[in-house]
Amino acid sequence: MKYSEILKANRLLENKDSSTYKITILSNIMVHQAKDLCEYSLRVDNVNAFVQLGDYDNIVQDSLKFKELNAVVIFWEMYNFIDGLQYKSELLSQKGVNDLIIKIKIEIDIVFNNFNDISLLIINKFSNLIFNQYELSKNKSDFIIDELNKYLTSKNQINLQIIDIDKVIAKASIKRSVDLRYFYSSKTLYSIEFYREYFAHIKPLFLLANGKIKKALIFDCDNTLWKGVLGEDGFDNIKMFQEVQYLAKILSKSGVIIGLCSKNNAKDIDEVIQNHKNMILKSKDIVIKKVNWEDKVSNIKAIAKELNIGLDSLVFVDDSDFEVNLIKEELPMVKVLQVPKKECEYNLLIRNAMNLFYNPSQTKEDLVKVTMYKTQVQRVNQEQKIGNIEEYLKSLKLEITTYIDDINSVARISQMTQKTNQFNLTTKRYAHKDIEVFINNDNYTVLAIGVNDKFGDNGIVGLAILEYNNNIAYIDTLLMSCRVLGRNIEYRFMDIINDIVISKGFEKLSSNYIKTLKNEQVSDLYDRYGFKILEKDEESTSYTMLVKRYKGKKLEYIRIKNGK
Amino acid sequence: MENRIKNVLADVLMIDVALIKDDASAETIEEWDSLKQMNIVIALEEEFDIVLTDDDVIEMLNVRLINYIVQERIG
Repeated sequence: MKYSEILKANRLLENKDSSTYKITILSNIMVHQAKDLCEYSLRVDNVNAFVQLGDYDNIVQDSLKFKELNAVVIFWEMYNFIDGLQYKSELLSQKGVNDLIIKIKIEIDIVFNNFNDISLLIINKFSNLIFNQYELSKNKSDFIIDELNKYLTSKNQINLQIIDIDKVIAKASIKRSVDLRYFYSSKTLYSIEFYREYFAHIKPLFLLANGKIKKALIFDCDNTLWKGVLGEDGFDNIKMFQEVQYLAKILSKSGVIIGLCSKNNAKDIDEVIQNHKNMILKSKDIVIKKVNWEDKVSNIKAIAKELNIGLDSLVFVDDSDFEVNLIKEELPMVKVLQVPKKECEYNLLIRNAMNLFYNPSQTKEDLVKVTMYKTQVQRVNQEQKIGNIEEYLKSLKLEITTYIDDINSVARISQMTQKTNQFNLTTKRYAHKDIEVFINNDNYTVLAIGVNDKFGDNGIVGLAILEYNNNIAYIDTLLMSCRVLGRNIEYRFMDIINDIVISKGFEKLSSNYIKTLKNEQVSDLYDRYGFKILEKDEESTSYTMLVKRYKGKKLEYIRIKNGK
Repeated sequence: MENRIKNVLADVLMIDVALIKDDASAETIEEWDSLKQMNIVIALEEEFDIVLTDDDVIEMLNVRLINYIVQERIG
């Protein structure tokens, strides 16, 4: 897309009605084109981004000015530490160099300190690549950026993300990343093409913060997991796409669900999975299989249903034009990838797609997630056999473990606020830092719950954040992972919340439901709990209840245990 | 071609294309500041696959001159 087209499309995508994700870009050069390119790259993925730009060369001052932000991006270019440093650095004395480094370090400290409470602080590694591209050996400007980059990486700030900007410049090429005409006339360094690559590169950070990260990767089999058609070429003549399968296996290890959706005889595919010596993905890596002769739309829908995740959490890979277009047409929320004609490009495609599942803070739950999803599929199957849901639930031997203000679970708790969409009453997204603040503040209780049953341990899967204010307890956040829905856990969860509120000495408990596109299933949850409606409009409903009046469902078959 | 140029200007300046008369310039259109001038140059270069020189950029003071210069670069 051309720049003018992006400007136009970006304006059309702006959603003035819904809340915005606020990003501030600070810089010591001119970056004004970054605004539209950043907003556009996120708005196409349904993140209603709003970008504000700081003033030219005002990073330190601006770090105090902007408040109520979701994220900050900093372009801090060494070429403009001092005007013309790219040609002046070599003639600086060693003392001059050292003084400059000390000055910038102090400024970094001030800026980082001022942004300590922002959820996401993104800064580019210092780079001198553009003006230093011809140098054969290290010079003073290398020394300056090496020192400063060491300093950046030594910062253990939890909200900090350091971006290797040289990767972005390499991808676009130096020549196409910069427009030196504007650098000399008006300190505008980067081109439109650079910004396009740059915001594509850092986008997973924003998608993660907005709960838009994909959860499952579903493969067709013939000409997708291997080259050849099993039913025609035969077991011995198919050739595995090894690199793709290895990449899928890596994803599986990090908690991504791997599944199959293929028109084949189930028995034949199982034979390959179990006995083909070059097959990398094994039964234990593959959570769900829809291998049959039904249409893929129904199969993909069934996969989402059985895993209890949204269709927009799925990525589907297939080689056939027909299937790819069918899914794109019928299920536009599913991300569809088509196998390219050249195998080397296929490997790169999957490598790139791994960012759709970006999840840097691997929690204990992620590591065993594949097992948990597998037991989920087993449970669904048992559910279908038993029929009577209460009987079935009793047979599960469910147990809830409570964790109150548990600092060791911060990563998982923050992750749940960012990834949970369906059973989430207020859909407030919190970073690690936010959760830490709640845990350390007496006006809040952070209650996480784990659930296990006879099939296995689901790990931490539920969260309530209670806020106390003027004699009223308020449920700021109430959410549960979709892995444990349909088990009446939510009723037992409310028993626990109610007990906490009573023990803290509050009489009233208030709460609200904020409607999103995905949380329809809990729109009447507080009604079911027995809360009274205070106010209701299109977007939200607020509730209140006297804790003494709370009855609960007395589901004794779900046991409760204290986690610490 | 003149209409294509006006459309580019409208998109970059975020105003209605009808407001862009032949004699429109940074003087007559409030949204047209020095930053937008740079964006206009970038957008025109992309739209017509041309490279504008430093002198071109300085001379592109109004729509008529822009038409003239872009025409010249297309050759």
